[in-house]
Amino acid sequence: MAGVVKAPAPGAFAITPHKVSLCILVHTYASPSQISVPFPFSSVSQHNRLGLYLLALTKSCDDILEPKLDQLINQLREIGGLLDDWLTDHVTSRLSSLSAPDDLFNFFNELRETLGGPDSGVMDDDQVILDPNSNLGMFLRRCILAFNLLTFEGICHLLTNIGIYCKEAISSSSYEHRLDDSGNDLESLSEYENMDLNLVFKKINEEMEARKKATEQVSFHLHLPKDLSTLVEDVEVFADPKPEHNEKGGESSSYASGDLLRDVDPDGGVFLRTNWQIQGYLMEQADAIEKSSCGRHGSSFTFNAFELTLRQLQKLAPEFHRVHFLRYLNNLYHDEYFSALENLHRYFDYSAGTEGFDFVPPAGSNDFGRFEIALLCLGMMQFHFGHPKRALEVLTEAVLVSQQQCNDTCLAYTLAAICNLLSEIGFSTTSGILGSPFSPMTNVGTSLSVQQQLFVLLNGSLKKAESLKLKQLIAANNLAMAKFGLTHVQRPLLSFGPKISMKLRTCPIVVCKELRSGYHLISDFCCEGSTMTTDGAFSTAWLKNLQKPMGSLVMSQDNGSGNNSNPFLFFTQPSSIPGSVLQLVGSSYLHRATAWEMYGSAPLARVNALVYATCFADASSSSDAVVVHVKLIQHLAAFKGYKEAFAALKIAEEKFLCASKSRILILKLQLLHERALHRGHLKLAQQVCDELGVLASSVTSVDLELKTEASLRHARTLLAAKQFSQAAAVAHSLFCMCYKFNLQVENATVLLLLAEIHMKSGNAVVGLPYALASLSYCQSFNLDLLKASATLTLAELWLSLGSNHSKTALTLLHGAFPMILGHGGLELCARAYITEAKCYLSDPSFSVSDNPELVLDPLRQAADELQALEYHELMAEAFYLMAIVYGKLGQLQQREEAASSFKNHIVALDHPHDADDPFLS
Amino acid sequence: MSSKESCRNELRTAIRQLSDRCLYSASKWAAEQLVGIEQDPAKFTPSNTRFQRGSSSIRRRFRTNEINSTPPTGVAYVSTPVMEEDEAIHGDFYLLAKSYFDCREYRRAAHVLRDQTGKKSVFLRCYALYLAGEKRKEEETIELEGPLGKSDAVNRELVSVERELSTLSKNNMIDPFGLYLYGLVLKEKGNENLARKVLVESVNSYPWNWSAWSELQSLCTTVDILNSLNLSNHWMKEFFLASVYQELRMHNEALSKYENLQGTFTFSNYLQAQIGKTQYSLREFDQVEVIFEDLLRNDPYRVEDMDTYSNVLYTKEYFSALSYLAHRVIMTDKYRPESCCIIGNYYSLKGLHEKSVMYFRRALKLNKKYLSAWTLMGHEYVEMKNTPAAVDAYRRAVDINPRDYRAWYGLGQAYEMIGMPHYALHYFQKSVFFQPIDSRLWIAMAQCYESEQLHMLEEAIKCYKRAANCNDTEAIALHRLAELHRELGQPEEAAFYYKKDLERMEAEEREGPNTVEALTFLATHYKTQKRFEEAEVYCTRLLDYTGPERETAKSLLRGMRIAQSGFPSMDVEHFHP
Repeated sequence: MAGVVKAPAPGAFAITPHKVSLCILVHTYASPSQISVPFPFSSVSQHNRLGLYLLALTKSCDDILEPKLDQLINQLREIGGLLDDWLTDHVTSRLSSLSAPDDLFNFFNELRETLGGPDSGVMDDDQVILDPNSNLGMFLRRCILAFNLLTFEGICHLLTNIGIYCKEAISSSSYEHRLDDSGNDLESLSEYENMDLNLVFKKINEEMEARKKATEQVSFHLHLPKDLSTLVEDVEVFADPKPEHNEKGGESSSYASGDLLRDVDPDGGVFLRTNWQIQGYLMEQADAIEKSSCGRHGSSFTFNAFELTLRQLQKLAPEFHRVHFLRYLNNLYHDEYFSALENLHRYFDYSAGTEGFDFVPPAGSNDFGRFEIALLCLGMMQFHFGHPKRALEVLTEAVLVSQQQCNDTCLAYTLAAICNLLSEIGFSTTSGILGSPFSPMTNVGTSLSVQQQLFVLLNGSLKKAESLKLKQLIAANNLAMAKFGLTHVQRPLLSFGPKISMKLRTCPIVVCKELRSGYHLISDFCCEGSTMTTDGAFSTAWLKNLQKPMGSLVMSQDNGSGNNSNPFLFFTQPSSIPGSVLQLVGSSYLHRATAWEMYGSAPLARVNALVYATCFADASSSSDAVVVHVKLIQHLAAFKGYKEAFAALKIAEEKFLCASKSRILILKLQLLHERALHRGHLKLAQQVCDELGVLASSVTSVDLELKTEASLRHARTLLAAKQFSQAAAVAHSLFCMCYKFNLQVENATVLLLLAEIHMKSGNAVVGLPYALASLSYCQSFNLDLLKASATLTLAELWLSLGSNHSKTALTLLHGAFPMILGHGGLELCARAYITEAKCYLSDPSFSVSDNPELVLDPLRQAADELQALEYHELMAEAFYLMAIVYGKLGQLQQREEAASSFKNHIVALDHPHDADDPFLS
Repeated sequence: MSSKESCRNELRTAIRQLSDRCLYSASKWAAEQLVGIEQDPAKFTPSNTRFQRGSSSIRRRFRTNEINSTPPTGVAYVSTPVMEEDEAIHGDFYLLAKSYFDCREYRRAAHVLRDQTGKKSVFLRCYALYLAGEKRKEEETIELEGPLGKSDAVNRELVSVERELSTLSKNNMIDPFGLYLYGLVLKEKGNENLARKVLVESVNSYPWNWSAWSELQSLCTTVDILNSLNLSNHWMKEFFLASVYQELRMHNEALSKYENLQGTFTFSNYLQAQIGKTQYSLREFDQVEVIFEDLLRNDPYRVEDMDTYSNVLYTKEYFSALSYLAHRVIMTDKYRPESCCIIGNYYSLKGLHEKSVMYFRRALKLNKKYLSAWTLMGHEYVEMKNTPAAVDAYRRAVDINPRDYRAWYGLGQAYEMIGMPHYALHYFQKSVFFQPIDSRLWIAMAQCYESEQLHMLEEAIKCYKRAANCNDTEAIALHRLAELHRELGQPEEAAFYYKKDLERMEAEEREGPNTVEALTFLATHYKTQKRFEEAEVYCTRLLDYTGPERETAKSLLRGMRIAQSGFPSMDVEHFHP
């Protein structure tokens, strides 16, 4: 009842028919005999195999319900090999011999003998005695204890249940061909049974035989119920006992519920597993829901199927409140806002937050409930559904309540959640939300910018997590810190002004340190003994592998020889590291990739992305997986050209069908835009650019990053269309925006673009300061690749100032060359090569005829690289230069070739066509 | 032949038939109504005339009665049908079975009738089996109670009873009583649509079985369902409709139906109690008290519905009356949920919350779905500052009946109590959704919005407005509206609400600090608006009060006179205290 018995005792252990049959098997396994291999077993390995199987059975948590007898028999068949028949017969005959309460008493007394005494260690080696402290021994002891606690009524119920349990197996095995009728058959049986119980039990064996023989005769009786049901037209006819929930959709759910009620009919003999096993099952399912949420395994995890399981569980154990939480998760990841909200509230109303959470301190310390956890969950839910403002309000309340209740753990998690929220939604929308309520945390005052508040919060959360030794949270916070360190300058908080800004830089070392600390997490988990539930999951996976022919881990021992032909199998077994930890570690790789991308090392970025994609694909959330794909495809586009990138994109699109499509869509638009620009298809470029802009301001909130990118691309398009003043205006307003929201990395890019615009418009002098400013930004943020690119632009600027500056330009260029060639993409390299050639050509002291290869070689390289990008404009330039060089050298044939290529590209630039474009939508 | 006389005859026959089939509670109900009919039919009381003015359907019903029925046979559709009796040979078995049944030996009764085919025998056999299953189910529920809640005990006879009855009904071999049982079984199996259909059939062919009506009532959860039922007219239908209306919170409709019925069944305790309950829902506590006092005089050993009476006594804080009632019911029947609830109420009134919780618990042990006990227990836990337990109790109430706005409100309060106003809002919203006409709920929600943490004053104002619109008896809303508008710097609106509040206080002849505050604000406000006449009126009224406001009024008046006389104000500061 309410209030007093809150969480059920964790060890709730009821004796059920399945456990009785396990006891029978354990008894067989360890029958007290004097020989090392007891009677039915022919070899030690056979004996061991059964032991392993029993161990797995006592721990497995693949469902909420215990397996039926026929399932058990099937598994025995797979495990038992030669012994199969004997074991099956033994179990069934032993079960059916239990016909009176006294038989049960005797059975459990016998069981007790299998257990050794406390001094069992000094027993003879060749005597099989179960250690009472071993897993199986514990299991037996629990069963015996549970039996001893039963009232007489309880024993009667157990007896009835054993009867049903056996009968089901019989009816399903011997009447498989008439499965449709088995439901009715059972009902009629149970009705029969109620009339005179004992008779049925005593005669069960004979009856079974009789039924087998007289299938023909009983058929009339069996079909009678069906005739009856056809008479009743008004009764819903359950013709299809297992509706396809995912296909029928909403209609089937109501239908199914009626069906379910039928399924749960206790006459059917369903029994819950033990509490721990169910908890383990639910935890596994929670992981599965989260993982499959965004479509990767979308089909394998359907809303209704799991909902049915949960409903069944709730019906069987109404006081098991964790169900509501799982239902909340299920709704959450299937975007059912209202029922998610409803179930979240229901769960916390019932459990007061004191059930099922690992980080709840032991009960008794506080009997006021842990409603702050409810707030934390509610906040995260609101955020998930795209109400960041609401989420922040709720989380603020969570901070207050956790402070009041002195729940530091929850406080740490809440702070982490807030940090996550702040960094996710961008800073445009939060201003003004983080108001006075946060002053207890950020007592520096409210004059801080949102970033600064975020930084303070992050630090606070990290410190809390460290002091509480919450490993996962520490790792998550480290990641968040690294992320923050990547994109924001760490300024001293109070002396905030333009004067000292030049001293400030991001610190890659700090970022790397933060990222590295994430790895410790995985080693911590490797060393620690795995927890109860993961242990259970392990066993379950083992049980499932029974079904697969290759899963013959144990079978291979059967041969007696050390047949290690399949050593890899050991590694395919699930590791004992929780999925969430793997996910965290994985995302640290993702962060690394991003970090290297920004710092300008393309190979390292690619390596990290690849590591993530190969090693953590199973554990990753689908959004992370999408990110990694996006990164790899972008890399492909920059280094291998569009053809390959689009091929990869197509694969990715198929892989991520539904929810995370927007990321892929954005990538597609980006690629399309770049290609259109290169091909000179400006109209298309503008169109794609506009589409990007639309995506940036969706209904939920404005994605600042995307918005920046869209207008950056807009400016680029204008530049390509040679509308310089407009391009400059767009770039300028973009710079203002970036400056306002402290998007420093973008600042550098925009400045560089401005420099380029001025250069192209012929105003090299005006362009110079922009390029220099961009350079300094790049320096303070360690953006090496961008810096190289800025240097290149600077060189181009110098060059366009006049031929007397070509030496300066060349020096600059050569300084940047290692970076460009090592890490830059095709376009950047080509540009560098062309600029180099131009420098040489414009240098009055340089004569072509002396050293033609010095010019021709880079030009050829550039032309090759640009081919993949279909960058007509630059290619035309390269061929033009080549033609000139060849002309000077007097190689007329080559000159004509280069000239005709030049012409081709100019024509292609003027008349863009996209006939071969499969991606245009 | 008067309509009362015909009712009486119908009921008399029905009681015999019902108790012959061991449908005891239906026959008890019918007997109560029989005695409830006014004894002297010749005398025309005012209530009688009221009845004739009333429901046309009843009148029509009785007109057809007079035309169709002839006293000796009385087999017309409307009057009590004489059921054909089973043959005499089987009659003996039936007598034995009925005796077993009366001794609560249901299985024996069913066994005796195993080969009988008469409708009556079949019904009694099925009914006995059903009850045997119910009895076993209750025992099993207790036996199987596990740590994770009750293991699902079911009535194991349902399947076979359903099968037999459905066959009979297909072959048209079923009488109305069988149909009632069939409906009952179908409802238990969750097949509600068919259950409704069968029950309607049953009551249409035999309207005097109140048990069938009440089963039907429990299946009418919305007005739409009710309207879709195809019920023949009969005076029993009026009882049914009234009870459905009551459940659907259509209190006024229910009340008028009950009052109509009282024309015929003037002395029916049942009607009186139902009227009392309806009045209670309408919060007419004084009337309820009178009704129940009267009821207890006539029927001193009644336990049914007395929990409502105890609620009234609780609200009115009648300690001794409540203790007297508790004493009486516990002497009558200690193990009735109602009795426990009354005692719980008594202890709660005395402030002994632990004891109170104990009795509510006992009530819930006796009936797990006893809605008001869950809610009341929640209140007790709130008093004991045991928020998690309170939340749990309220949540159980809500899960039993999601329309229970009191429990939603309780949940909201509990969360507000532990400093989670934002979280509490969800519950307040639920509660006002189900009961949008209760000002207390709106006020609670508004106060939640006003709380320091949320400080969402605009929303608070919206809530107070709703509260003010639905008869806010405690007059909190208007005052708060005025204050909030003043705080938000909206003097026009503030003045509007102060004025309304003032009018209201005048109408109710109340005075207090609120009056002074309103007057002061209005005076100052009109003065700044340069509407000196109005300002002067309020100032003059303020002069009737003592305290600093009086001085303020004086200075205001002085200032106005100076302003009106055209002098530029010399000491502005002085005018604004």
